[in-house]
Amino acid sequence: MARRRDDYAEEEDDVDYEDYDGVDGEDGEADDDYDGSGKTKRKRSRSELIDDYAEEDDDDEEEDEDDEDYGGAAGGGKRRRKAASQFFDDEALVDDDDDELEDDEDREEDFIVDDIRDEDDRRIHRRPLLPREDEREEDVEEIERRIQERYSKSLHVEYDEEATDVEQQALLPSIRDSKLWMVKCAIGREREIAVSLMQKCIDKGSELRIRSAIAIDHLKNYIYIEADKEAHVKQAIKGMRSIYPGRIMLVPIKEMTDVLSAESKSLDISRDTWVVDVDNVRQRVTVKVIPRIDLQALANKLEGREVPKKKGFKPPARFMSINEARDLSIRVETKRDPSSGDSFYKIEGMMFKDGFLYKNFSLKSLRTQNVKPTFDELEKFRQSGETGDGDMSCLSTLVANRKKGHFMKGDRVVVVKGDLQNLRGWVEKVEEDSVHIKPNEKGLPKTLAISDKDLCKYFRTGNHVKVVSGASEGATGMVVSVEGHMVNIVSDTTKELSRVFADNIVESSEITSGVTRIGDYELHDLVLLEDNSFGLIIRVLSDAFQVLKGVPECPEVALVMLRDIKQKIFMKIFATDQYKNTVSVKDVVKILEGPFRGKQGPVEHIYKGVLFIHDRHHLEHTGFICVTSKSCMVVGGSRSNGDRDGNTLISRFAHLRTPSCATQYPMRPPRGGPGPINNFGGRNGGGGRGLVGAAVKIRVGHYKGSKGRVVEVKGSTVRVELESQMKVVTVERSYISDNVNVSTPFRETSRYGMGSETPMPPRTPLHPCMTPLRDSMVSSPV
Amino acid sequence: MFFHIVLERNMQLHPRHFGRDMKDKLVSKLMKDVEGTCSGRHGFIVAITGVESIGKGLIRDGTGFVTFPVKYQCVVFRPFKGEILEAVVTMVNKMGFFAEAGPVQIFVSNHLIPDDMEFQTGDMPNYTTSDGSVRIQKESEVRLKIIGTRVDATEIFCIGTIKDDFLGVISDPGSTS
Repeated sequence: MARRRDDYAEEEDDVDYEDYDGVDGEDGEADDDYDGSGKTKRKRSRSELIDDYAEEDDDDEEEDEDDEDYGGAAGGGKRRRKAASQFFDDEALVDDDDDELEDDEDREEDFIVDDIRDEDDRRIHRRPLLPREDEREEDVEEIERRIQERYSKSLHVEYDEEATDVEQQALLPSIRDSKLWMVKCAIGREREIAVSLMQKCIDKGSELRIRSAIAIDHLKNYIYIEADKEAHVKQAIKGMRSIYPGRIMLVPIKEMTDVLSAESKSLDISRDTWVVDVDNVRQRVTVKVIPRIDLQALANKLEGREVPKKKGFKPPARFMSINEARDLSIRVETKRDPSSGDSFYKIEGMMFKDGFLYKNFSLKSLRTQNVKPTFDELEKFRQSGETGDGDMSCLSTLVANRKKGHFMKGDRVVVVKGDLQNLRGWVEKVEEDSVHIKPNEKGLPKTLAISDKDLCKYFRTGNHVKVVSGASEGATGMVVSVEGHMVNIVSDTTKELSRVFADNIVESSEITSGVTRIGDYELHDLVLLEDNSFGLIIRVLSDAFQVLKGVPECPEVALVMLRDIKQKIFMKIFATDQYKNTVSVKDVVKILEGPFRGKQGPVEHIYKGVLFIHDRHHLEHTGFICVTSKSCMVVGGSRSNGDRDGNTLISRFAHLRTPSCATQYPMRPPRGGPGPINNFGGRNGGGGRGLVGAAVKIRVGHYKGSKGRVVEVKGSTVRVELESQMKVVTVERSYISDNVNVSTPFRETSRYGMGSETPMPPRTPLHPCMTPLRDSMVSSPV
Repeated sequence: MFFHIVLERNMQLHPRHFGRDMKDKLVSKLMKDVEGTCSGRHGFIVAITGVESIGKGLIRDGTGFVTFPVKYQCVVFRPFKGEILEAVVTMVNKMGFFAEAGPVQIFVSNHLIPDDMEFQTGDMPNYTTSDGSVRIQKESEVRLKIIGTRVDATEIFCIGTIKDDFLGVISDPGSTS
């Protein structure tokens, strides 16, 4: 009945209609079918409401034109309209029949239904006209004539929008119209209640004084009932279950229109990379998808074999291979689409082309907002896109669907659409839909407001950026190249290229690799795993770590979950290299054997004689190499030892040129302790005794951080003479940092050791020739 | 770009070194500490060329260490955006190639290599023009332009391009050998 307004002008001309409308008494709508070419069609409807709405026609005409445009764009060519047989129309219709019609009531009906109608005009197909009883008697020629008349008339319609607007205004509800009541009901039962109200209406007839009942999908817990008085509502819902008569609220007049205004945004779908065909009239969209088809299961099904279904198994999405299907003796038909002329493969009613499944969906079942395809997904569609414009169109979709508010003040942007295309500038202010930008060019106003859809972030090669959303969120890198919306960046940590959307990155000077820690474990930690193997975390993924296993010479990377890690290994242990020199953390070593021969870099971790070396020239495993200490050689001075002891200064002038005379500067014997010679004797004694005289640092306990020299070793405790406090303390042996080895590899007898000189005053050695361990080592392997 | 500048640093010296050669000690320690390091402001300190002045030492309580303010001249190397450098290719892969100009590592992405140069895998991965006349492989010397720099505490990493006039290979080890 909503249609009724639309065609009065015609009705006026068409006396026949008035005729049967009266007979009909029923408010329905019907459409004429149009000619086969699908060129134009006129909706035709009848109504008992008359003449005063004549102008409305214009409006309708326009909508018709719109329809055609849509249809043309969709390329469908064939279109049909089906009837909008809406429950609520019918229901209202029953009302109409029952109640004596009053003019304003009718209007009210009209208004509400009209809201739906406006949408329907665009989307809902009409049922092809079913000849009515009275119509059948009419002459076929008569019908033809009428169609002709109507059709020709529609071409000469003047569009007068203003008048239409005014008319529209007039349709808004007023205080004289019936009211809309909001009634609380059980959640999830909204539709059911509306339907039962309709049923009640049919059963009871005129007893029921409500005019309509509406359940709105997006509004839970409430239904709307249209009636003149609250009492009518109460009466209608009396005795019904799952409706709460205590909560009846009146919808303010102003808000009444909003109740039924439909969201038309979601229908803004056009042909695109994956949208093959849009049929706005039938509300269907043909979408190209990568199918998830288990060919084997399909073959089984076709052959009638019963195969128990694996639960929870989801076949992976992949391109359909027709040959594979044929191999499984699945019947493949080749079919040509009459409209587009493309040939499809048809299997079990499914259409395939280029490996994609072409599937029809209802518009409503598609979600178009905030869909964020990953780059890989886009790529798949793009590659197979038969036309070269794939890139552009998929990006336009992205831009349209991206979420709001990703521009920030100071962002560099470029205008991608409209008159100001290619204008660059900086974001000054961000508002709801528009962004104020400060243009780069001279001679333009200070700021320009531009819709955020027409803007794109702009980066230059060499910019340092951070990824703020998407797959590689959190990573930072430098821009290598920019291709429209895509930006290629080189990650700072992995030095790998990745492609990201310009929208997902911001300029930043920060350097991170994205997530760097999960729980207690951080990137580049050495960890002990469940199976007692160990490894170095080389990459942190969203919920797992990539661990370079501590297996020397054969790099093995394992993906390890958080729970598989036992603990972090902190130990600062020392190892010995090929020449029995001590290697400590941060020492630079060179690999002499194995597949990584020639690599060199600082030692990051040592565990069980295995070194983890970071060579920045090594690109695998983010530069980490795992080797046994025995196949390495320490290069240069030991930085950490030197720092710790302060006794490994290089006198470049004195020694680098004369490495042969490199001598060791032994640790000064503890004051009052045994002489140096005894000390060396002690060194030969055993592990524990070698400690005596060694410079150590206390790691734990009250004297933490103090340095000193070991005076005596007593079982598990040692007595240490502190450097700073002039006293000897006893600490657990495990409390001292175990750099015993620093002092042990004396290979030459020092001058002190010879005893040929008088002992020097403590801590003021006069000899410039103190050579660090490493220097002597470099020369010694010869 | 190289600069010869004067920098200052506070050096801590262990009391053990006090004596005749304290100054030498100080200088050698300075060299050891400073040469090869990198700062965001000055870049890599390549070499110390001389010591301008050593201030008065200050003895620290408790440890006995002495702090000397030392002014020294040094040569620093800092790459700049837009600078043209000559570098030696150290590694070639499908993403591009890495080159080194002294201590600085430069990555040239395949997007920034002229389009007519294609990646060839194999024993010696390289980028070669279609006619084979120009080839970039390990040990090649290239002239490149720096388009981006990133400065860490310990290294400077640059992104370069050879997609410009007069950039590219300047000597090819493959052709000479």
